[in-house]
Amino acid sequence: MQLVFDNLPFLLKGAGFTLLLTIVSMFFGLIIGLVVAIARLKGNRPIRWLARVYVSIIRGTPLLVQIVIIYYGVVDYGITLGSLTAAYIALSVNAGAYLSETFRGAILSVPKGQLEAAYTTGMTPWQAMRRVVLPQAMRIAIPPMGNTFIGMLKETSLVSVITVSELLRQAQLLIAQYYQYMPFYLAIGVMYWIMSTALSFILERFERRLAKAY
Amino acid sequence: MITTTGLSKHFQDLEVLKNINLEVAARDIVVVLGPSGSGKSTLLRCLNGLEDISGGSFEVNGIRVGAEDSKRARQQATREIRRQSGMVFQQFNLYPHKTALGNVTEGLMTVKKMPKEQAVTIGRKLLDRVGLTDREDYYPSRLSGGQQQRVAIARSLAMEPAVMLFDEPTSALDPELVGEVLSVMRELAQEGMTMLVVSHEMKFAREVATKVVLMAEGNIIEEAAPQHFFEDPRQERTRKFLRQINEI
Repeated sequence: MQLVFDNLPFLLKGAGFTLLLTIVSMFFGLIIGLVVAIARLKGNRPIRWLARVYVSIIRGTPLLVQIVIIYYGVVDYGITLGSLTAAYIALSVNAGAYLSETFRGAILSVPKGQLEAAYTTGMTPWQAMRRVVLPQAMRIAIPPMGNTFIGMLKETSLVSVITVSELLRQAQLLIAQYYQYMPFYLAIGVMYWIMSTALSFILERFERRLAKAY
Repeated sequence: MITTTGLSKHFQDLEVLKNINLEVAARDIVVVLGPSGSGKSTLLRCLNGLEDISGGSFEVNGIRVGAEDSKRARQQATREIRRQSGMVFQQFNLYPHKTALGNVTEGLMTVKKMPKEQAVTIGRKLLDRVGLTDREDYYPSRLSGGQQQRVAIARSLAMEPAVMLFDEPTSALDPELVGEVLSVMRELAQEGMTMLVVSHEMKFAREVATKVVLMAEGNIIEEAAPQHFFEDPRQERTRKFLRQINEI
């Protein structure tokens, strides 16, 4: 136990990286997800096909494999990515695929009459999407988005394999130094748990505020 | 104002509209009656481009759409027609994430690119016109059906349409709320708005319409001035329809 407290700053630094990775990847994942969802719904045939293949590949392969491919695989093509950059890319691309499915479902669940009403006032398809459909779809997408967010927090642990010094990696480094497993693994377990609980608390409040709006 | 020439529409093998020739002059109030499935709503939706037509053509305020036109030409004409006509739906279709005022100003700001203050001024005036001055901050979920439909009418009027299409505007309303919507429509008629109304409101048709049309099985059976239509219909089908209505 004493060991954990002595090395707490070191672990907290890892936790900070975990949070940073989660938030940044979620941010880019949201953008990718939204673009891909709209591409799948409104794009022409090749664009729709491309978006489908992307979602299918990402959802059909383990995140760990995606991370390793992005970090080690592209070196063969002369691109060297820093481990942190590779982690951001892999996590964003992964989250984007899952979020695009969330958004697609949410957009489809907005009643057709909403689009018709927007069209009859003279809006273009893009204006109707932006002003009428998306605001309603976002509200529907919030709970599943929250799940992805919390899932992402835990999945960041996978980028420890490409030496990003997030929480799990920091613990492994300490274990290698002290040859003590349980205290460190238990400590980071507790830290992950605290972070996810805090995150779901924040998301819940956000959801409640949005629900009150109308 | 509206002319349809040999307009037809089918969904796969189902013929919904067959060779419809209808004329709505400026300041006309045309009420279309007919049993459900007669194609009357589809006709209205075709006139606003919500359904593609399969044959023939139509013209709204001088803009023509023909079944033979290219998809692009049709789209362009449709967009122009939508800008000059308003539509009110059976299910209101108000934007649930916007207040009553927000629903009315949305088109002004998004489509007409009007600055917010100006849009709000116009929006308040329109809500006042439909009798909802004190409800501008209410979200649709807190308004009654009649109030929602009146907001929807105000939302359409905001775009200054040359013609208004009403698709069974009172059919989803509780009976005691029908009157408030009809009286707004009456006022609109008195102010000289051109209106094409699909409805089951016989009293409204009798008192407000300049022309009543009966549709059945995708055809126009009879069209006549209201007193002729109700007192002395020429077609047996119309007599049967009126008998059925009166039995209720």
